[in-house]
Amino acid sequence: MKRILKLHVNGEEFEILTEVNKTLLEVLREDLGLTGTKRGCDLGACGACTVVIDGKPHLSCITLAAAVQGKKIMTIEGLAQEGKLHSLQKAFVEKGAIQCGFCTPGMILTAKAFLDEHPHPSEGEVKKAISGNLCRCTGYVKIVEAIISAAENV
Amino acid sequence: MAFENGESKVREYEIIGKPLPRVDGIEKATGQAKFTVDMAMPGMLHGKFLRSAYPHARILSINVEKAKRLSGVKAVITRDDVAGIRYAFVDTPRYPADETPLAVDKVRYIGDEVAAVAAIDLDTAEEAIRLIQVEYKPLTPVFDPEEAMKTGAPDIHEPFELGSKTEWEDWGVHRGKRALDWRDAKNLSGRTSVAIGDVERGFAQSDYVREDRFETKATAHCALEPHAALASFEPSGKLNMYLSSMGIFYKRFVLAKALGLPISQVRILKTYVGGAFGGKIDLFPYEFCAAFLSRMTGKPVRFELEREEVFTCTRQRHPTIVHIKTGVKKDGTILAQKIKFIADNGAYRGSGAIVVYLGHAFSIPVYSVPNYHYEGYSVYTNNPIRGPQRAHGSPQIRFAVDSQIEMIAEELGLDPLEIMLKNARKKDDILPNGDVLKSCGLSECLEKAAQASGWKEWRGDRAKRTQERESTSRYKRGLGMSSCSMFSGAPFYPFASSAIVKLHDDGSVTLYTGATEMGQGSDTTMAQVAAQELGLQLEDIRVVSGDTELCPIDHGQFLSGGAFVTGNAVRLAAADAKSQLLKLAVEMLGVEEVTLEAKEKRFYVRGSPDKSISYSELIQLSVQRNNGNPIIGKGNMKAVQEAEFYPSLAKAKGHFTDAYGFAVQVAEVEVDTQTGLVRVNKTVTFHDCGFPLNLSIVEGQVHGNVSMGMGQALWEEILLEGGQIQNPSFLDYRAPLATETPSMISGMVETQDPGGPYGAKEVGEGSISGILAAIANAIYDAIGIRFTQLPITPEKVLEALTLPAHPKACLPVGRGEGRDKEKVLEALWKK
Repeated sequence: MKRILKLHVNGEEFEILTEVNKTLLEVLREDLGLTGTKRGCDLGACGACTVVIDGKPHLSCITLAAAVQGKKIMTIEGLAQEGKLHSLQKAFVEKGAIQCGFCTPGMILTAKAFLDEHPHPSEGEVKKAISGNLCRCTGYVKIVEAIISAAENV
Repeated sequence: MAFENGESKVREYEIIGKPLPRVDGIEKATGQAKFTVDMAMPGMLHGKFLRSAYPHARILSINVEKAKRLSGVKAVITRDDVAGIRYAFVDTPRYPADETPLAVDKVRYIGDEVAAVAAIDLDTAEEAIRLIQVEYKPLTPVFDPEEAMKTGAPDIHEPFELGSKTEWEDWGVHRGKRALDWRDAKNLSGRTSVAIGDVERGFAQSDYVREDRFETKATAHCALEPHAALASFEPSGKLNMYLSSMGIFYKRFVLAKALGLPISQVRILKTYVGGAFGGKIDLFPYEFCAAFLSRMTGKPVRFELEREEVFTCTRQRHPTIVHIKTGVKKDGTILAQKIKFIADNGAYRGSGAIVVYLGHAFSIPVYSVPNYHYEGYSVYTNNPIRGPQRAHGSPQIRFAVDSQIEMIAEELGLDPLEIMLKNARKKDDILPNGDVLKSCGLSECLEKAAQASGWKEWRGDRAKRTQERESTSRYKRGLGMSSCSMFSGAPFYPFASSAIVKLHDDGSVTLYTGATEMGQGSDTTMAQVAAQELGLQLEDIRVVSGDTELCPIDHGQFLSGGAFVTGNAVRLAAADAKSQLLKLAVEMLGVEEVTLEAKEKRFYVRGSPDKSISYSELIQLSVQRNNGNPIIGKGNMKAVQEAEFYPSLAKAKGHFTDAYGFAVQVAEVEVDTQTGLVRVNKTVTFHDCGFPLNLSIVEGQVHGNVSMGMGQALWEEILLEGGQIQNPSFLDYRAPLATETPSMISGMVETQDPGGPYGAKEVGEGSISGILAAIANAIYDAIGIRFTQLPITPEKVLEALTLPAHPKACLPVGRGEGRDKEKVLEALWKK
């Protein structure tokens, strides 16, 4: 059954007519065409679907879209401001922390939410923060380097 | 995360070799990069499969009437609709294609596709699947390859009529006579036999002989992007496909053949690929059915596999049983080696016939073995299908060989490093199949890895090691080492790569290459090659890749030929364009070619910086003087120069590759004797990749390889019970997490292969295979317990620690403890 959902995404208000039982991931990708957020497992196990809601990282594949109306949702598309890359995005690119790129949006958003609360983390703290984001390509080495570098350059 | 470079015989280039940021980095960091799963089209239908719940059963009837009538369902297909169609990764007269898009007479594994539905949305498709009624007659299944080879085992495949020519015949292979009776056991899907010298005499001459058995399990690729395909037809009948795939030219060939379409009527378009690691090269039922259903319904059809389906119904790494008997002299020189390599390839051949060849081909370049006997068996079972996975066969064989080297070293009182150095192949060695090691940095890698890991200090101090091992401390440390080798391209369709370099008015370039960017960085490294050759900056190159229509043929990403084969094609194309420009520049400036150097889109006369001419001007001149020639460069490179065709899988004869990469890896582990948990603290990898085209990208490949190798050594296992996967999710299948990342030291040994572009050879698969034995050997070093079965999970370690005579703590044959040596030997070599 369809209903109107009011979602606040990347600073914009959207009114979406869609099935009431859709996950936030489905609404973002299918109704709003924001395909930057990825479906890796649909089970909340890989972190590829991570978005930031009211400053905290959330797994959008196990979040009901209807349940996050009225909250501030940020997807990867909303991170760069007016064409200017966020320091994390710059660091990921410069440090070679991106290979296939599929885990990247979720990884960057998890890191962003983490650095916003912990601006000077140790390597161990960074690893723990991203332990819910799977990456099969990089072995995490350059990802951790990039996050530490971004923290130092903010 | 330190890094160490080779000696200063290394040439420094302006662009190539530099760790420049990837050309697709920003696109991916901002979420703009499009993957197949992100593609959608108006009116698109969604596809779903009905899959078998039985591991082995005859299909008595299929009733799809109810499903067809469900509102929103546009098509339902079964065996009747796709009758007679066969395809497979290996399709030769000896090994004809054994897969059909949908099950015909039998289902052979849990997950086998029985019917497919296209509907207006996923919910409808799923409901339709539930309405399909299938009557099965269960048959006796077999899940163990050694059981499947026995005389009384059920037949998983029956002989069938070959409907059409096989792929290899299509590609113009002319093989004289075909070995018809190669099946010397039941349920064999592939068989390789290699004999060099006189292995029995070699054993007789040895001072020490030992035999051991090793086992590895099935592992998953875990590419983050699920398998997906989107197919649509143009009114003219041309098929357009978005695929999350590797080797698009190979895939186009098989797809066109299966669909009965001319190759030119099938186009695979570019999308980024979210990881593959070998798991996306086979032609899959979902790819075929997407196209078939699209043709049937006249609408675009998309299949996106659920993660559970990816784990279960795509491909896995072959579990193996490796029997290995090695004879050495007192000083560690290997005199003879006898190997029996059994691969469980699952319900369909997949790449079984190839992996049993690679269990030999990837190992023979490492140590020189004068007397050698190898028997490879790939066996059908009712388990899920096994196919290529990063380094394909090499991790399994290297785990066995180098675990045993360490065992031999201990018996002889030698350092395993000594044995490895003594037997390591060298530059100019000729392998039994005729391949020449035109570059080989194996010995240098061994020395450097030993140095960087503090090997001699730790190993040399036997007293300290023994003390730590026998102490009551909770955490025990150990070091282990292993080496491996990897090919750089092989002769497989389309047998070559080609590239086109087009210059624009402003002197910048568009590079056309059929390579697929799946994370390994080909868009970037190929752009660097073109930029270096033409004296341009990376920003001046635009890459058009991964499209079978727009780009010329490419060797494909599943044969490790990206650097060597495609790289050469790109270099030649850029050189061709450059020479056209040079010809005009020489004319215009009135100087010799050798005096000119390319920089900033101009040619400068060396020593006279005011004497120069821009590419722009040269292009203008060319258009005006050479009847409109706008300067287009073309280049091609055959995968293996002297090979007409893939080497004989059966006998391992014939050229395989023109360059081998080498790697030596050391693992430093810490075993928690209270929990059994093994922590890898540090790894050292020294990789001879010839020359790193982009240092950052090459390091990234090494890191990824090490992580995957570590996972597969310690935690990763596809748990199967009665053919049913017990852990088809990321929650239960333990791929490594960030918190498990060791400190990784990686260094390059630059041997500058004479055949590679700027000396480059493979890098994407070469540094996983040395990690497994390195970790197993390190664990032995730490706690004195030898594990011959992977993965070495905490449960296994704990069991072994608490029960010293536990059977899982494998003791070598002939070492007493109640094992009858004669009986074991008898069983070992019986077929």
